[in-house]
Amino acid sequence: MALVFDGIQIGDIMPPYTSAPITRTHLVRYAGASGDFNPLHHDETFAKAVGLETVITHGMFIMGIAGQAITSWIDNRWLRKFSVHFLSMTQPVDLNDYSNTKDRATITVTGKVVDKYEENGETRIRCELTARDALGSRKLKGYFVAALP
Amino acid sequence: MADRSKLGMEFPVYSIRVEKNKIAEFVAALEQKEDTEQIHPHYRDADAAKKAGYANIPTPPTFPTSHVFWTGGGLLGTIKAVGADLTKLLHTKEEYEYFAPVCAGDVITRSMKVVEMYERGKKEQKSRYMQVTVLQTDMINQHGVLVIRARTTFMERG
Repeated sequence: MALVFDGIQIGDIMPPYTSAPITRTHLVRYAGASGDFNPLHHDETFAKAVGLETVITHGMFIMGIAGQAITSWIDNRWLRKFSVHFLSMTQPVDLNDYSNTKDRATITVTGKVVDKYEENGETRIRCELTARDALGSRKLKGYFVAALP
Repeated sequence: MADRSKLGMEFPVYSIRVEKNKIAEFVAALEQKEDTEQIHPHYRDADAAKKAGYANIPTPPTFPTSHVFWTGGGLLGTIKAVGADLTKLLHTKEEYEYFAPVCAGDVITRSMKVVEMYERGKKEQKSRYMQVTVLQTDMINQHGVLVIRARTTFMERG
């Protein structure tokens, strides 16, 4: 059933959305799709040269996963604003040590409706969201605004 | 370190066509699928998108990032233009305002400018000193309508 403004209450929970463990192959695929070829995300030699242990996930990849979490719940034509702060880096899973590294690379997005109001002649909701890895470390926090019929 | 004289600078304007295969590739990357037939039907099938009320296949919320990266010399071109150092860069905030849907076939013209540049911390305390730069990008479609406004904040370590 499609979401409607009257059917949503402040405090309602956005359905949680969980990614697959992010691999280096996922990072390469995202780099090509988005055009973000910062070597920090695919070239281990560059990552080490700037003082990191290994490559890290694009912040915008995590935001994109959060975007999928939103549009799995609310049709993206209703989205009016989407804003995030990046909080920590995300290392991809090591395939030679999968069981010990998959949790750091598995992202779950959760959210909660915090406001309902009228603006620009539309009925809108504001929902806060957070992305965390499976160890509980916060990757980003932010909010979105959606107009609902 | 970013060049403070670049505050207010406007980048050259670029236009880019929104391609349906690029949308599918972008969504496959976000949904971590092996091919574009496995993604949500709205993002690969124009008929499914039209049934859902779109003019054509829609773009996902963070797709506008690709309009910036695939024009104007990409990331390195943008970083160079503001005089920043890639090895010290942290992307700290991203924000989108959506005014109208963007779909496959649209032609998006992006105008980007440096809207804020400021320091955080004291120069003497190198570990805590950061220079903050905020870029604002207006995306206008082929009908002259402002469809998306993006604000990107990055910090450069001292």
